[in-house]
Amino acid sequence: MTDTTLPFADLERTYERLAETLDALPEAQERLFLAQLALALAHRVGDLERVMAAIEEARQGVEETSA
Amino acid sequence: MRPAGRAETDSLYFDYPHFPFVRPAELEGGPTRHRVAIVGAGPVGVTAALELARHGVDSVVLDDKDTVNDGSRAICISRHSLEILQQLGVDGPFVEKGLGWTRGRTYFRDREIYRFEMPHTQQERFLPMYNLQQQYIEKFLIDKAAESERIELRWRSAVTGVRQEEDGVTLEVATPEGDYRLECDYLLAADGARSMVRKALGLALHGEAYEGRYVIADIRMHSDFPTERRAFFHSAALPDSTILVHKQPDDIWRIDYQLSPDEDPEAAVEEGNIRDRVGQIVREVLGERDDWELEWWSLYKAYTLALDDYRHGRVLFIGDSAHLVPIFGVRGLNNGLADAANAGWKLAWVLKEQASERLLDSYTPERRGATLDVFANAGKSTRFMTPPSRGYRLMRDAALSLALHNDYASGFANPRQVTPYTYAESPLTLADEAGFNAGPMPGAPLFNRRLSEDGFLLDYLGSGFTLLHFSHDGSIDPALAECLNALQAAGQRIDVLTVARQPGSDNTLADRNGNLFAAYGADPGSAYLIRPDRHVAARWKRPEPGDLEAALATALGGN
Repeated sequence: MTDTTLPFADLERTYERLAETLDALPEAQERLFLAQLALALAHRVGDLERVMAAIEEARQGVEETSA
Repeated sequence: MRPAGRAETDSLYFDYPHFPFVRPAELEGGPTRHRVAIVGAGPVGVTAALELARHGVDSVVLDDKDTVNDGSRAICISRHSLEILQQLGVDGPFVEKGLGWTRGRTYFRDREIYRFEMPHTQQERFLPMYNLQQQYIEKFLIDKAAESERIELRWRSAVTGVRQEEDGVTLEVATPEGDYRLECDYLLAADGARSMVRKALGLALHGEAYEGRYVIADIRMHSDFPTERRAFFHSAALPDSTILVHKQPDDIWRIDYQLSPDEDPEAAVEEGNIRDRVGQIVREVLGERDDWELEWWSLYKAYTLALDDYRHGRVLFIGDSAHLVPIFGVRGLNNGLADAANAGWKLAWVLKEQASERLLDSYTPERRGATLDVFANAGKSTRFMTPPSRGYRLMRDAALSLALHNDYASGFANPRQVTPYTYAESPLTLADEAGFNAGPMPGAPLFNRRLSEDGFLLDYLGSGFTLLHFSHDGSIDPALAECLNALQAAGQRIDVLTVARQPGSDNTLADRNGNLFAAYGADPGSAYLIRPDRHVAARWKRPEPGDLEAALATALGGN
């Protein structure tokens, strides 16, 4: 399984596209959209361990910055 | 703006100079014509005057004020700008008074999530950034200009009209002792964001305005916190506001805070509201306990605006008159100084008839190119600092949350500070030669290397073009030497700076361990042609006969 990650410049493009896509959605659809996106990306990662690590990363970020 | 009861120039720490009005020759009826007139005695205008003087060209600088800027405004001076100031012989007071720094911290929800360190090594003479209030920046430059016989500073002289003709420019100037006409060969418009020259020529800036306004406020406060850039996102005290904090000399702290979209900017800048908000930031965000005093404040909105062309015949626009950029990344003043250096040397070469007027055609592509590069970065950093919408705000907060533990996301919190622009696409720049695996490419600025305890490569540049020549023992190939002699005999100002592994004479820079050779990807015989503004025009592993002459002709705008 590959450990490839996205170059930062591409991560920035992702950031911008996501921001614009979110803006075009009704706010009430935000959560559903993001949850679908997480599943769609997990499907493409093809490695359960990496997906679980990403879930844990995001959970930690929420927990530690919203205290 | 200043607190009630204090005049615009009534500062807690800075004694404003008052420059006298001196009757100019024009009012005495004498016929006068100037080579170069510069409108605006701000940092960009005076830097241009100093650059012209360095090349032996006289100029007259006009300003409607009789003192320096009312507030600290542009406070960050980059290493590249210090290198410009060094060439003008005025870096000393900037380094002595300014606060150098390399570090910054980003906080999200009152937790430090990221520290950045700007690139700095022992190879550099100057730190990546110095904080210094604009009043000092202007004063140091004006003091230097006042020493020069080639610069005439005219205070309380308001330009009210501009007329351009085939062979020159005529200004209408209003003074306390009457109006007069000033004639010059070329005009540099350094009269800022609300440029009178720009309006007189019927020109407009084009671009966009960003959401989000900032208050920028200076306070005097004693604090032991080091000189670093601090950015606070989503603090508990002001969750809707991004806050930036910089230390300045004389115990002055700059606090920039974002206004929320529904806030009335006019109410926000009332003194009572400034005091409330700044007080809250000092106590609750910075955690400072000491008393503080309010010094000065202003309102700021981010723009990316530029003229379509920075040159109109005999008028060249430099600094804010040509472009307005967002403050994030400190590019306003630093790009203005680079404009001044660029326009200055080119104008000098044309006026001294060492280049044709075509050299000036390269001013817009080089400096507007730099502005457009700034815009590309500034858009990103402005959307990060002041998210314009719900989507951008959510993404910003997501990136900051992840950045707490994950380096891959911390790049988003990087302030994307100013970096010098490479004139790779310029008509003055030759295509790079194959074979170099290190060193600045053509169009890029020369980078510094330490040569001794207090000696650096850039210290040794000439004031005109420099041929940086790499050699084993300091000797120059006879064909190259002959070419140099011919160019110098033809009146070209080109100095040779030889770097040698085993120097045979005192006129060469010793590089016994080969560090400089390696940094510049050079072998014995390699050479770099350097422009007066330290940008590389061309480089060769081993120049062939005729290469140098051709590159110099290109770097001077073509034959």
